[in-house]
Amino acid sequence: MQASKARLFKEYHEVQREKTVDPDIQLVCDESNIFKWTAFIKGPSETPYEGGVFQLAFSVPEQYPLQPPQVRFLTKIFHPNVHFKTGEICLDILKNAWSPAWTLQSVCRAIIALMAHPEPDSPLNCDSGNLLRSGDVRGYQSMARMYTRLAAMPKKG
Amino acid sequence: MQSKEAVVEDGEITSSVTVADSEFDEWNNFGDDDIMQQQYTIQADEAKKIPFVGDKEALSSLAAEYKSGSPILLEKIKVLDEQYAAIRRTRGDGNCFFRSFMFSYLEHIMECQDQAEVDRVQPNVEKSRKALQTLGYADLTFEDFFALFLEQLECVIQGKETSISHEELVIRSRDQSISDYVVMFFRFVTSAEIQMRTEFFEPFILGLTNSTVEQFCKLSVEPMGEESDHVHITALSDALGIPIRVVYLDRSSCDTGGGVSVNHHDFMPAAGDLPTACCSSEKNIPFITLLYRPGHYDILYPK
Repeated sequence: MQASKARLFKEYHEVQREKTVDPDIQLVCDESNIFKWTAFIKGPSETPYEGGVFQLAFSVPEQYPLQPPQVRFLTKIFHPNVHFKTGEICLDILKNAWSPAWTLQSVCRAIIALMAHPEPDSPLNCDSGNLLRSGDVRGYQSMARMYTRLAAMPKKG
Repeated sequence: MQSKEAVVEDGEITSSVTVADSEFDEWNNFGDDDIMQQQYTIQADEAKKIPFVGDKEALSSLAAEYKSGSPILLEKIKVLDEQYAAIRRTRGDGNCFFRSFMFSYLEHIMECQDQAEVDRVQPNVEKSRKALQTLGYADLTFEDFFALFLEQLECVIQGKETSISHEELVIRSRDQSISDYVVMFFRFVTSAEIQMRTEFFEPFILGLTNSTVEQFCKLSVEPMGEESDHVHITALSDALGIPIRVVYLDRSSCDTGGGVSVNHHDFMPAAGDLPTACCSSEKNIPFITLLYRPGHYDILYPK
């Protein structure tokens, strides 16, 4: 418990320092609970998520950093490796490939990389995965782009 | 993760997609987080059966385990019985090599009050720290693990305010907040050594998995619970400059004519950096001896 808090404080200070370094990630700690974090990440360019800002919710276990944080998309996203309803993310570093060498910040970077490089062979969103696996890249992109506009961009007017 | 496997089974049949989707609704409610939670529960249950590091047991307890086992194994245990007095078991949680190494190493320093070894190993620890920095690891990701190991190293030397008893060493080795941190320290050191000597380790890694050196470290060295292989042992032994003897108890027949013998392999770090074997009667015999049975490491105590 103490160890995880100490580590999270270090990450907190690092995040303050890095803010200007990585403009694509805004990582915010809950004011009253250091085990709860929120991130806003920019959809990577040249993907259907470009122009969108996606909100992630982090829940950090007491065993952190020996155990991984739980991360979910709060913003609706159409992506093969993100559960369409719950926002759960299928990413190995959040499961069995986790190690303390990762930080909340680098997890955000890994999620951005996953957005740019979907893994349709291990889908949490089968519809999205099947579009890609059947070679319908246009279909996948237009669905993903539509949801980016609907859910991840500021409403116009 | 469950839904992932199920999907692969009928992934090619596009017409079944809608059917599959509704079928998976139950799986959808049962997310990866639940699976992770279940895994932690199983680990907690296992923890009740055997601590991270067990008590010292007479070697006869090993024979008892194989009472009706293969004759070769029984023969080999007889041979072991002549050379070794005791065994200390560790939990089979994928960290057993690192855990055995940790206990054996700290116990050795404690029993011999081997200040020279503490002084010798510290520069190597600092070299690992520099290596991780060179490799681009942020200090905050590994410094806590380094600090905790160095703290244990200090504690086992007697006559200080922070000194601990042998009993306390056992307690700490069973305390997750210390034991797992030291294991993780060794994982960082191992990973750094492998990545700093990519050319040397690459052929071995290619033989084990089909991944790059960096991937291997990310997937098979750094995550807790990933089992150790020759590559890990070689790297750790080299990085810290600590020789390790591994005794192999398996069913391979080593009949040398005069009866069954038991194989062992000494992992010897690059010469010039060897600890002066205080305590050990002969030089160059590693003071750490581990018993390997396929998939598991325990600690052995020579007679």
